[in-house]
Order: sequence, then C-alpha cells, then structure tokens
Amino acid sequence: MIGRPTAIALIAVGVVLTATAMVLPWYSTAYGGGVEVVVRAWGTEIVNKPGDWPAGELSPWYGVPVAVTAALLVAGIWVARAAVAGAAGQAGAVGVTAALVVSERGHAVEQQGDFAVGFGLVFLVAGTLVALAGAVAVQREAG
Amino acid sequence: MKKVLSVVLLVLAAGAAAGATLLPFSELLISLAPGQPQTAYVTTGWSTRFGGTKDEHGPLFGIPIVVAAAAVLVGVRWRKVAFAGAAALAGVAGMLFVHLLNVISFHEAGNIAIDPGLEAGFGNGIWVLIGAVVLAFGAVVVHPDD
Repeated sequence: MIGRPTAIALIAVGVVLTATAMVLPWYSTAYGGGVEVVVRAWGTEIVNKPGDWPAGELSPWYGVPVAVTAALLVAGIWVARAAVAGAAGQAGAVGVTAALVVSERGHAVEQQGDFAVGFGLVFLVAGTLVALAGAVAVQREAG
Repeated sequence: MKKVLSVVLLVLAAGAAAGATLLPFSELLISLAPGQPQTAYVTTGWSTRFGGTKDEHGPLFGIPIVVAAAAVLVGVRWRKVAFAGAAALAGVAGMLFVHLLNVISFHEAGNIAIDPGLEAGFGNGIWVLIGAVVLAFGAVVVHPDD
C-alpha cells in the first residue's frame, strides 16, 4: 500500500509533468521544402508556411481541457475526489490526443512527411499515469 | 429505488456514449467549384469521409469514448468507478469538443475563398456525448454505494 504522503507526492509529480507538457511541442510533421507543422498545447505553428496555405488559423487550444484536469489534480491534494476526477479526465483527454496522433502520423506517412512525437506528449502521458497512480492511492487512503 | 435509478442512468449514459460514436461529430459542407453541389466532410467516431471517399487515416475517436463508456458501465457495481468513468468521459468529450471547434473554425476561415456559401458545424454526436456525460454524473449522484 502507498501511504498518503507518497500518493500526494505522485499527484504533485503528475502535475509538474503535465505543466511541463503544456510548454513543449506535442508532435510535429516535417514536409519537403522545410515546411514543418508543430502542434503544442496552445496552438499550432507552421514553420516556413508555403504561401497562403493554410489560410485559416490553426489554434486548437488543446491545453484548455488539460489545464482544467491539472487544476483538479492540484485540488486533489486536499480533496480525494478531485484527484480522481482530474486524473481520469486527463486520461480521457489523452485518449483523444492519442487518436489524433495516430491519425496525423498516418497522414504524414501517406504524404511522405516526417512525423515525430514531441517531449510534450511524452510528459503528458507520463504525468497522466503518475497522477492516476497517486489519485487511486489517495482515494484508497480516504476510504 | 436509488440503486435502480443509478443503474438505469449508467446504462443509458454508456449506451448514449457508444451510440454517439456512430453519429456525426462535425459536418462541413463545401463546393469545390462554382456551380457544383456541396460535398459533405463528415467525421464520426469511426471514420472521416469526404463525399464518398473515406479518409484511411481518420482519427478513431470512438476508441477512447468506448473505453470510458465501459468504465461507466463497470460503475454499476462501484460508485467510485462510476465517478472515475464519468470523469474520463468528460475528459474525452472536452478534448474532442476543443478539437472539433478548431476543425470547424479552420474550415470556415480557411476555405471561405473557395466557397463563400460553405457551411460548418457540430454534428449530433457531440451533443449526445455531452448528454451522456451529464447522465453519468447524474447516476453518480444517486448511486447508493458510498
């Protein structure tokens, strides 16, 4: 059994990893001509944008739901239920992100682009798993 | 009585979430040339189609939705699992909503020069999914297993 201090420490580490993920690239695809599409929590950057493509603004704001779950994790240090809500919610959000990553990788390969997973996504997944372990432990301690 | 109501709500929530994956999450209509009829670009939980053509690499949002729905269903036995399942479903719905919002606004802004009459909007699937989240949390509230 994990004691409460260890469980709280796991949640804290999960929050720190998640917060780090918010400022690092999640994934990117490089195409010919030096064009690169870099997806982050707070927007998508197109390096060496070719002319007017794409004309629309790529600002997914994927960070919004993750910021909410991270806030719940912080609240989970005092309220066990908030920790569970934050960790489970973040796992759900990561599930959607995983579906997007697999899809984007498929499109990149099809268009002969070079797809790469960024450290942001690695930190996000790690943070979610660590926070989940902490949240389950906190919930068990709470009875 | 509370137990029965909780079970009914959890089953309804899981069923609605699973059913939502079969409905359109977003529907984009565009005419690629003047005078041509509009073609629909439709995303569901299991496929993305542009007219009659299927995107072979379309995102499979149905997978995380079904996993979260399964957790909600397991919550019939344990309230804490029901709560975690409802939270997971909310996380899925939240991230999917943000993604769809981006796809819709990008389509509207990016393709307006191609077809000024283009249409873009959420499909019924996302609303059914959000409804499933509300049902799941409602079930947690009345769940007797504390």
